[in-house]
Amino acid sequence: MKNLIKKEVSHYLNNPLGYIVIILFGIFANLFFVKDLFVVGSASLRPFFLLLPWFLLVFIPAVSMRAFSEEKRNNTIEVLLTLPYLETQIVLAKFFAVLTVFIIALSLTLSLPFSLFLLTKIYLPEILIGYLGTLFLGASFSAISLFFSSQTKNQVVAFLLSVITLFFLLVLGSDFLASYLPKIVQEFFVPFSPFYHFQNFIKGVFDFRSLFYFSSFVFLFLFLTVLELEKRN
Amino acid sequence: MIILSSVSKFFGQKKAVDNISFKTKEGEIIGFLGPNGAGKTTTMRLILGYLKPDVGKININGFNPVDNRINVLKQTGYLPENNPLYLDMRVFEYLSFVACAKNEKNWQNIAKEVGLLEVLNKKIEELSRGFKQRVGLAASLFGNPKYLVLDEPTSGLDPLEQEKIRSLIKKLGQKKTIIFSTHILSEVEAVANRLIIIHKGKIVYDGKKPKEKGGVEKLFKLKVKN
Repeated sequence: MKNLIKKEVSHYLNNPLGYIVIILFGIFANLFFVKDLFVVGSASLRPFFLLLPWFLLVFIPAVSMRAFSEEKRNNTIEVLLTLPYLETQIVLAKFFAVLTVFIIALSLTLSLPFSLFLLTKIYLPEILIGYLGTLFLGASFSAISLFFSSQTKNQVVAFLLSVITLFFLLVLGSDFLASYLPKIVQEFFVPFSPFYHFQNFIKGVFDFRSLFYFSSFVFLFLFLTVLELEKRN
Repeated sequence: MIILSSVSKFFGQKKAVDNISFKTKEGEIIGFLGPNGAGKTTTMRLILGYLKPDVGKININGFNPVDNRINVLKQTGYLPENNPLYLDMRVFEYLSFVACAKNEKNWQNIAKEVGLLEVLNKKIEELSRGFKQRVGLAASLFGNPKYLVLDEPTSGLDPLEQEKIRSLIKKLGQKKTIIFSTHILSEVEAVANRLIIIHKGKIVYDGKKPKEKGGVEKLFKLKVKN
């Protein structure tokens, strides 16, 4: 499987688009934080973490959209599926490759806690748990985006389907929608939102229920992707 | 040995492969002939386990490709139709990727044998069609497979390249069982020692290739007309 992951990662990093997406993510994430730090005067990473899901909403589908759709369009999926690899290995390799690209992009934001450390006193465990939560959030976004990429030959369709679904899921857990929904409906649906679970991590709380939620989310969509590959559509 | 027993495959209402059966012997070079949409590619994909049969059984050297796809793929080399390749990869990157997947240590020797040494550092998208075909063919030889399944290996090549690929298939046929599909009747005459004609998903001829010149063409026209 190392061979597959290596091929997938180099596929992203041999492509100028991969670098453009990573650099754009880095620039925007840093820019918005700097705004909070100097304009609003907030010396905390919370505003940055609160904004991150909305960046990832675009960034992760942009990275994942081609994973299967391009293979299907060029029919290289036939090459891949006639090599002695299981469908599960192929899906996991693509998942870890997207995750690797995401970690590279996320590492561009490490300058933020470092800057804060130079300017003020920071509480390290809170920041670490925030990054851990971001990693789980990114993993769940990657799983859902890979699933949509496996559904179509068209990368743009895959991208749009992922963005719309993730947007809906994020909005479900945000205060914006909560204020419009009756309390009973809200209490039922909100725990399904990744945003709801991510907020625990932002607060520096490592909640095992949230860990279970993200793990189940990743497992479900990767499993559905494997099923889609097995169908050979 | 490759054994297909009463195999059928449907795509929706359409019967792409209709109750076909055949058995290969060691060292055979089987020319798989048929018009477009006859079911050649589907049959090849069924052998590889890429598709699952709706009816019937397939056995590749003791393994069922549905349950033991990995074991089947370890002993079968495959060149798919239109030879899809990762165009943004360099030749050596692609070959080393496939070699690693198929546990082939001497891939450079195979690349040399197929005539790829001079283009190893080139991007696949920069290669001529002939070289691309050689890349696909080299990859299909990795892991020393017992069986080679080649879907239109000479399609779109100029006559000189076609001749080179045919010679290579003939040479490989001394050690391996090869099933290759083609539209070029003279190719079957030149390379194959057994002929299977498939039409509308059914096998309409399975036997020795006619010995006389132009015999394959006559037989093909006769069987496909009926």
